[in-house]
Amino acid sequence: MKNTTEERTQLDVVVIDDEELFTEGCRQTLEMGGYRAAVARDGPRGLDLVKAAHPSVVLVDLKMPGMDGMEVLTRLSESAPDTVPIVVTGHGTVDSAVQSMKIGAFDFLSKPFEPEKLLESVRRGVSLSGLRKAKEKETAAAAPAKPEPAPQDKNDLLLRSLGVLGEAYSLGVGKKELLQELAYLESEAKYHAESLGQVKRRERAILDIRHDLLEADAIMDKYGFEKGALIQILLDVQEKFYWLPRHILYWVAARLNVPAREVYTIANFYEAFSLEPRGRHTLRVCTGAACHVRGSSELLSRLEATLNLKPGETDPDQHYTLKTVHCLGCCALAPVVQIDDKYYRDPGRKKLEQIVNSFKKEETVCRD
Amino acid sequence: MPRLKTPADLESVRLEARYERQRKPACITVCTGTGCCAYGAEALAGAFENEIEARGVGHLVGVRRTGCHGFCERGPLVVIQPKDICYIHAQAKDVPEIIEKTVLGNDVIERLLYLDENTGKRISSAAEIPFYKHQNRILLANNVLIDANSILDYFAVGGYSALAKALTRMTPEAVLAEVKESNLRGRGGAGFPTGRKWESTRNAPGSPKYVIVNCDEGDPGAYMDRSLLEGNPHSVLEGLILGAYAIGASKGYIYVRQEYPLAHRHAQRAIEQAREYGLLGENILGSRFSFDVAIHRGAGAFVSGESSALMNAIEGHVGEPRPKYIHTSEKGLWGKPTTLNNVETWANVPFIVNRGSQWFRTLGTEGSKGTKIFSLVGKVRNSGLVEVPMGITLRDIVFKIGGGLPDGKKFKAVQTGGPSGGVLPESMLDLPVDFDELDKAGSMMGSGGMIVMDEDTCMVDTARYYIKFLAHESCGKCVPCREGLRQLLAILDRIAAGDGREGDIELIEELSHVMEVASLCALGRTAPFPVRSAIRHFRAEFEAHIREKRCPAGACTALIQYEIDHDKCSHPPCGACSRACAVDAIQKVDGAFVIMQDRCIKCGACYTACPTRFSAVRKIQAAPVEWHSPVPSSPNPELRA
Repeated sequence: MKNTTEERTQLDVVVIDDEELFTEGCRQTLEMGGYRAAVARDGPRGLDLVKAAHPSVVLVDLKMPGMDGMEVLTRLSESAPDTVPIVVTGHGTVDSAVQSMKIGAFDFLSKPFEPEKLLESVRRGVSLSGLRKAKEKETAAAAPAKPEPAPQDKNDLLLRSLGVLGEAYSLGVGKKELLQELAYLESEAKYHAESLGQVKRRERAILDIRHDLLEADAIMDKYGFEKGALIQILLDVQEKFYWLPRHILYWVAARLNVPAREVYTIANFYEAFSLEPRGRHTLRVCTGAACHVRGSSELLSRLEATLNLKPGETDPDQHYTLKTVHCLGCCALAPVVQIDDKYYRDPGRKKLEQIVNSFKKEETVCRD
Repeated sequence: MPRLKTPADLESVRLEARYERQRKPACITVCTGTGCCAYGAEALAGAFENEIEARGVGHLVGVRRTGCHGFCERGPLVVIQPKDICYIHAQAKDVPEIIEKTVLGNDVIERLLYLDENTGKRISSAAEIPFYKHQNRILLANNVLIDANSILDYFAVGGYSALAKALTRMTPEAVLAEVKESNLRGRGGAGFPTGRKWESTRNAPGSPKYVIVNCDEGDPGAYMDRSLLEGNPHSVLEGLILGAYAIGASKGYIYVRQEYPLAHRHAQRAIEQAREYGLLGENILGSRFSFDVAIHRGAGAFVSGESSALMNAIEGHVGEPRPKYIHTSEKGLWGKPTTLNNVETWANVPFIVNRGSQWFRTLGTEGSKGTKIFSLVGKVRNSGLVEVPMGITLRDIVFKIGGGLPDGKKFKAVQTGGPSGGVLPESMLDLPVDFDELDKAGSMMGSGGMIVMDEDTCMVDTARYYIKFLAHESCGKCVPCREGLRQLLAILDRIAAGDGREGDIELIEELSHVMEVASLCALGRTAPFPVRSAIRHFRAEFEAHIREKRCPAGACTALIQYEIDHDKCSHPPCGACSRACAVDAIQKVDGAFVIMQDRCIKCGACYTACPTRFSAVRKIQAAPVEWHSPVPSSPNPELRA
């Protein structure tokens, strides 16, 4: 590729929309913000322009005659993976937002919007695109790669994680800040491993945490990174990990742009969340009124004795957790204990021991 | 399936669905509500399907998994239509016999029929079983007939006809007027007139407006909302759409407790189906009315069932109540006018629109119209869901429908209204049950939990139970509720432990009074009700705990001991008690079993395990003893046999 032609055709932003007034407004705003922008009136022309000019960011309208925005997004992700698409639409619904996010949109702006909002979104998009390009170069350079070299320098491993994490952050932060984040991540990894009573090598722990954060990202993605969905997101995290590990809570706070304090308030308030590791299996003794008059406290004391746990505690091997719950709503079975998703009416000692032993026989959970 | 564009489309789909249902001459309905599933209903339904396939009689008989039938005590329940034969406690091993004799043949299987213990007769027809016979089922009636996951089933029983009627022949104002006229009162507990709530949201400035289904059924011992949403989610949805139409709301939410996974799944499924058929979304049934619904899962907090707290939760905040100087009906979710009603309230709406307010007003009493679903639980023979017209007496519910108390025990009290309600003693059994009468009697309707207590239930323990529950669930925002409950609990704890003091009862009453006038939300204001009503009706029992250090009902563990009566024990001892003991506190000494009191955790396992022909294990009213938690140590060597 000749440098000169690339220089000439290099653009920062391409705007694809069929409304002239809108595209013109965008172009002016962007140029005032210091970006080089070009305009296309429909999908096919827009895609051609992207091919020729390699912009960092593409603004796409969803409703256009001929090829619609969703299709443009799909094709973009194939033909120009470095380019960051941002959806701008006058028909914004939650569904369309979620769907476009799923096929690669980085942000979603509902028309009309403030110029500042557009510039902010584009700024973040451009820096993400830069990260993507850098990562591509890195992988291209390391193409005939040897198997992972053992980390020499203290920051070596951290630097190698940079590519993926940089993308995950999509905050457009500089290398220094990213290193800080990664150092924090490392300390979290240590804390996490300790809280589970596991001894892990440093690399292993960091990789595990990264894996967790990507899982958390997938969950948040399901809800379109919506702040209002915080409780739902935490419920899904709880379901996935059996508890709310600290690093995930901080991560969720950062990604949804809510204070960590608020995430913690919610995690503390609701019964369903646990800030301590829980076992794979949960025994919930119903303490509803109907169960109470039919002897649930006696059942509970029997369970406590059999498991050697108090309500809320987990056995050291994380096999099971004993809990109480206010009414399971199957009062005819009272007194009842729910073990995972099965209900037992006043199980005797033999039955309980049999169940607990079957849990103990299972292999300990492996993270991979 | 294409969207239904007109009410006529709906009718043709309905006809098809009806035809489809009638193609098979017989149908085996298996209750797959949570209660029956716990008894293995899912496996039972599968066994029916396999058996039908193996015999190649699929064209003659179908299997339908339905929502909760309500008679949970006797699950899994199987009803064979069209003969209406009800089998209780059916198991997979009974399946071939049921198909052979009852479905293909004309016999009934005696041993699976309900036995009326009063007459000694077996009853084959579901409608004749006293539990069902004395009910007046309207909201629950369709639970038995339809598969909750099938919108076609709901169509077949007349579903969404009220919606079609409203959208074509009624203005929103007319729907509102009909509901107002019906005098329907909220089924969530307080009994606020539904029509008035709707009207105030409708007239409040601001848009969009919201409607919410409250299925955060937090009262321990109540599960009618769960069964409705689980068994007939479309009826709730239809009510919600009608409400939205009347109010002018464009968005609705269904708030479901996290403890109710099945209800959540079924509601989700119902919403998807309704969208597919064009009953939700843009231009419903071709009209100009558009509306959509989303589900929000709760995360386990009792106070979140309070309207403003619930709205906080939907907005993504902590589910704490906010001061309601302005009603949520005017300024609710995101500061917009919002109507929040209980599941059961919404489920009433389609019936009112369809049959008219006149019909609705024929049911019930002067101040409380319609029917109410109660969950009749506790020490009663037929636990389950009971739908009766308002105004029926407690006696009828407990004895006629509930079949009285098991094991020949004596009735002591019934608790209504959940943690904000109170206990009603035997002298009040003839009380007609409606909102106002229960209020007058010092209890309340609540969401409809009815917990029957027998002579073995201690009132101090019951009061303590509710206060403990509330102390745990108080959000802690206002002082009277937070601190008041803590102090109440401390006092009740010491009374139950045998450390009660003179003056404790008066102290409870004083504290209660402050909480009732000074708490921020209804949780705190009603929190002392269970204690106050227990003291009012059973003061002597409190006094026995305080003065004599004795629990007359033998329920407070600190005041009782278990003992084995060696005269009654079998020779040689059968050892059932020892095997049942979780802490190995029952040891053999000189050939006889003895309970080591210092290890005993008083779980009562030995008491239950001892065969009734001996009844050798007995409770004795001991003086308060020092309580030890079980220590895993070797048994006392001297006592080793």
